[in-house]
Amino acid sequence: MKPDLSVSFAGLRFRTPLIAASGTFGYGTEYLDVVDYEAIGGIAVKGLYLEPREGCPPPRIWETPSGMLNAIGLQEVGIQRFIDEKMPRLRELGTTVLVNICGSTLEEYQELAHILDSVDGVDAIEMNISCPNVHEGGILFGCDPVMAARVTEAVRSQTKLPIIPKLSPNVTDITVVARSVEAAGADAVSLINTMPAMAIDVESRRPRLANIVGGLSGPAIRPIAVRMVYQTARAVNIPIIGVGGITSHEDALEFILAGASAVQIGTMSFVDPSVWRRTLDGLEAYCERHDVEAISALTGGVVS
Amino acid sequence: MRRDVRAKLVERRALSPDASLLEFESDFLANELRAGQFTMLRLPGDESLLLRRPYSFCDTDVAAGRFSLLVKEVGRGTRALARLVPGDEADCLGPLGSTFTMPPDGKRPVVVAGGVGIAPFVAFCRALSSAGKVAVVLLGGRTAHDLYLRDVFLALGMDVRCTTEDGSVGTRGRVTALLDEALDAETQLYSCGPTPMLLRVAELAAAKGVPHEVSLERRMGCGMGCCLGCVVYTSEYVRSCTEGPVFDASTVAWDRDPHPL
Repeated sequence: MKPDLSVSFAGLRFRTPLIAASGTFGYGTEYLDVVDYEAIGGIAVKGLYLEPREGCPPPRIWETPSGMLNAIGLQEVGIQRFIDEKMPRLRELGTTVLVNICGSTLEEYQELAHILDSVDGVDAIEMNISCPNVHEGGILFGCDPVMAARVTEAVRSQTKLPIIPKLSPNVTDITVVARSVEAAGADAVSLINTMPAMAIDVESRRPRLANIVGGLSGPAIRPIAVRMVYQTARAVNIPIIGVGGITSHEDALEFILAGASAVQIGTMSFVDPSVWRRTLDGLEAYCERHDVEAISALTGGVVS
Repeated sequence: MRRDVRAKLVERRALSPDASLLEFESDFLANELRAGQFTMLRLPGDESLLLRRPYSFCDTDVAAGRFSLLVKEVGRGTRALARLVPGDEADCLGPLGSTFTMPPDGKRPVVVAGGVGIAPFVAFCRALSSAGKVAVVLLGGRTAHDLYLRDVFLALGMDVRCTTEDGSVGTRGRVTALLDEALDAETQLYSCGPTPMLLRVAELAAAKGVPHEVSLERRMGCGMGCCLGCVVYTSEYVRSCTEGPVFDASTVAWDRDPHPL
């Protein structure tokens, strides 16, 4: 019998445990001709504000050892254009849809949640409280457990959809923030967002990014993310979506064994459109080789 | 239709001490690519680089199922690619991005390129040649070494004019010096090269009211329109991988370009 690779948690069902990370998969349809979407369990769309945003000036990206620095600054189309123009095609993909929301104030998060609550095809709200590249909101909410709880409560009050705060690694103890949002009504947490980071061109003496500082993603941050998932899994009772530098089924399994119920793939999706099918096939082969009937049985299975 | 193709290098030709023309085998890409488009390339098994790198398609041979890339060694990605030998393979995602458009009847095409900016114009001039059109091709470089593929443009029957900054070939000076006399109301301009050159070219074309398509090379993360790393400002930030790399130059807000010099 084939192992069951679907996962269900927080009232959501994902046909595979692989989710496209917000900000790396556009509004869901950009890769239709080159990616095997059957291998994708969910899509977290590019973070949305109430209004469209221009984003940071370029240069916006720079490659670092096993990683990528970015300061895009949440260039996005705004919630209304998303609903009118992007959602119709997104809801036909058959994957679970996580809409990632951002705000500068509590009220903005609240209004976005209120609007999304009645939008057909939206399965869950992922709350971006961890973007390092916007000057108000974003990471400011995610770095303070009290603010993180307040924004979670605000969103909770407006929707029955599952809400999933996305946590920043840029904190002394991520478990404090995780416990705080759990108490405030979060259904799950996703972690980690990018690490604030910087690179400099020594010839011109200028920062590589126009925004000066950006967020580091990719394999370079994976061990940090695995550690944070492991610690968080021991601190909260809500499910965890693990994210940070996953390139293969072995990487995904590290997160799952550390305590994740599902994982997100981001930077590697830019590099290799076959990462979804390859990773899923690898998970299946692993389960068969280890006599695992369901991938969900591996969550938190690290031996220590 | 785009695909990630594993293409075999079948031939390489050194063009200068630091530039080569690499010819790869792929029926799919040779057939599908249009002049101005690009591929996101990575070398299988090479873990030293994470992201793919964008390369303009230089030329295509549909009958032989081959396409070529012009590679000048400027950084880690180009150095790794330049080290390939025939038989080696590269993963090429494409074809990606927008294309140059054929000039309307009655308009004479003028191409102006600096350095490796010449790359997309081989395929374009081949298409012009097939349509019975002759372009004025203005090539500029620092020295004779930088005037890549002049022989190919001549073989395609193009009207090739050169400048070098050191005067080793053609007119001494910058390529924009030849542009003024090449442009008139009956011409359509196509350009690619270093940003300072493109700025000057865009100014000249705008002053003369000449339609102008420009290919803008930007640092890219995905090539598929998702990372938003490669943006160019028009009336908003648009993606050079998806809305570009070929833009109507009159829509580009050059004063908001971050790489003026």
